[in-house]
Amino acid sequence: MDNLPIPTFQPRLKVLEHRQALAIHTAALEILEKTGIKMENDRARKLLVDAGAKPFDTDWLRIPAFLAEEALGSAPRQILLYDQNGDKAMALRDDHFFFGTGSDTTFTLDLESGQRRGCVLNDTGRFARLVDALPRFSFAMSMSNPQDIPKIEFIYVYTFAEMLRNTNKPIVFIADRLEDMQHIHDLACMVAGGDAALRQKPFILNYSEAISPLRFPAHVVDRLMFCAEKEIPICLPSGSNAGGGAPITLAGALALGIAENLAGLIIHQLTRRGAPFLFGPNVSVLDMKSTVVSYGCPEWSLTQAALADMRDEIYGLPIWSFGGATDAKVVDAQAGAEAMFSIVTAMLSRCNLIHDVGYLEYGSTSSLEMVTLADELIAMARHFTKGIPVNRETLALDALDRVKSAGTRGIFLTDDHTFEHFEEALFLPELLDRSRYDAWMAEGGQDLYRRSNAKARSLLETHRLEPEMDAGLNDEIEALLQRI
Amino acid sequence: MTIDLNPLSEAVIKGNIQAATQETQKALDGGGDPQTILDQGLIAAMDIVGQRFAAGAMFVPQMLRSAKTMQACVALLKPAFQAGTVSSKGTVVMGTVKADLHDIGKNLVAMMLEGAGFTIIDMGVDVLPEAFVQTVSEKSPEILGMSALLSTTMPAMKATIDALKDAGLRDKVKVMIGGAPVTAKFAGEIGADRYAPDAGSAVAAAKELLQTS
Repeated sequence: MDNLPIPTFQPRLKVLEHRQALAIHTAALEILEKTGIKMENDRARKLLVDAGAKPFDTDWLRIPAFLAEEALGSAPRQILLYDQNGDKAMALRDDHFFFGTGSDTTFTLDLESGQRRGCVLNDTGRFARLVDALPRFSFAMSMSNPQDIPKIEFIYVYTFAEMLRNTNKPIVFIADRLEDMQHIHDLACMVAGGDAALRQKPFILNYSEAISPLRFPAHVVDRLMFCAEKEIPICLPSGSNAGGGAPITLAGALALGIAENLAGLIIHQLTRRGAPFLFGPNVSVLDMKSTVVSYGCPEWSLTQAALADMRDEIYGLPIWSFGGATDAKVVDAQAGAEAMFSIVTAMLSRCNLIHDVGYLEYGSTSSLEMVTLADELIAMARHFTKGIPVNRETLALDALDRVKSAGTRGIFLTDDHTFEHFEEALFLPELLDRSRYDAWMAEGGQDLYRRSNAKARSLLETHRLEPEMDAGLNDEIEALLQRI
Repeated sequence: MTIDLNPLSEAVIKGNIQAATQETQKALDGGGDPQTILDQGLIAAMDIVGQRFAAGAMFVPQMLRSAKTMQACVALLKPAFQAGTVSSKGTVVMGTVKADLHDIGKNLVAMMLEGAGFTIIDMGVDVLPEAFVQTVSEKSPEILGMSALLSTTMPAMKATIDALKDAGLRDKVKVMIGGAPVTAKFAGEIGADRYAPDAGSAVAAAKELLQTS
């Protein structure tokens, strides 16, 4: 009888002890019960009061802890997102991680001139198409806030349609209010083949935000309840950034962000039990000189690692997170260092849906080059995270015997074992350069930014969706855009 | 009689509220002129704070603490002024525009301007164009400051400027705008006088607009 195979330990980062996790959770419940939330949506306020919340002052509610526990009990522990062809694409749960782009940037680095300029709708399409082409990207977001939208109040409908036309991967989208949310839902139904089909195989996930501290504007909660009713997966992180909307100390910022998230989850589950909700606040920091919300800081990586621990220790729900972004203004060493830091830590702490990959300038500028090179950074981190399989084949004692027998000419490079295993044993970089100096110079002596630029251009020229959108659907989408 | 205002300035720069208010009281009790205490003790200190911040030698919480310290001192000075004789660098009406509920950035700008000696009328968030117009009409501020975090609410800035024009008030007030999606180009397009990318430069821009120091 063979012995059992040795399991492979896959490196996993933990940042909280169980008691730390419990204390943050308890503080979040205390915030709901004692401080309360400001609920400006009448329908949601009534739902909460009927369920046991206590109103005080104008719009304020104190929410008993049992409502949070109930909501955590009824929300699904896996969110399954499909691609637009109806195939399973992302099973968001426990230790699964998926990377994708971010949303509304004001500027983008122009692929041709390298200049930072205002985004246009065509940029949304190009980012979506690049996401479609890159194997380590699992979902698309708009990566732009286009300036050339005919009707600015429907900006999110236009960007959503543009993404539909340029990727078949799942889409994480933004909406402003109920009206544009309904149009976006209509568009998604056109792709999926109706409301029932979209519920069965959702390919979209909505990103909405409450406002820290503790404020739930009416139109935000409208979107939350709409998504619950339609079973569109949604996340509702508030901007509980340390030093801005939340305390400067990360424990307090986490507790506040989690309290706000739990309040959102409660409303969501009271609206429709079992509807899919992606858990987790955004807890970054305000930079103490510029007051920007930092996208390159170590603290955000730390708070989302903490949240992943709390998922495993307490919540059980998949989480929303970030990675692969930077505060640098150009694709430089800072950009690479910060992006890699958050990619590695997000992966090692097993964050689930990891967005904002490819952001420059604390989320104000997007870069196709940054997205392209991040694809390779993700692959590098993934190789590390797979760990070291240990078995007879990988211990390779037979190969050692062969090489030894070959005498002084023995080298593993020539052995069949190397030929048979190198592709899975090693990370084989494509953009990261290991060529010899003369060869690198002969290729033009290009830095990583230039090489990423060339790869992005090439992919955008050659990549085709499988399949490209059919003409009938495209017309239907266009008709809706004309109608609004 | 000359009163040494250096300890007061030092306390403001350090953000030591207790020491600064004690020094202010001491200066008043010693017969110091309130306007001199304000100009040479407090505002001079805030100018140094502003310079140190710009040089990267101070952080925002320290600067805000200095502003808070100054405000505590100004509160002590107020009764000593004859009504209406406190000099202000100018009045700024501020608010986050219609349908936008975000106010962290706007609040920072308001605190910084106050620290620099401006009088602030903060209208809060979700301020309708007609409300801005009414306040400008009633309070005759030198500057109107508008903030927006969302690209969908930026058009309300233009709507407010247009409403000021319709009310015949556009020439009476300088308009400054800011917020994450806002750009200098946008400011030019909608006919605002200035765009400021952050709280520190908002103070410099306000001073420049009013040609004061």
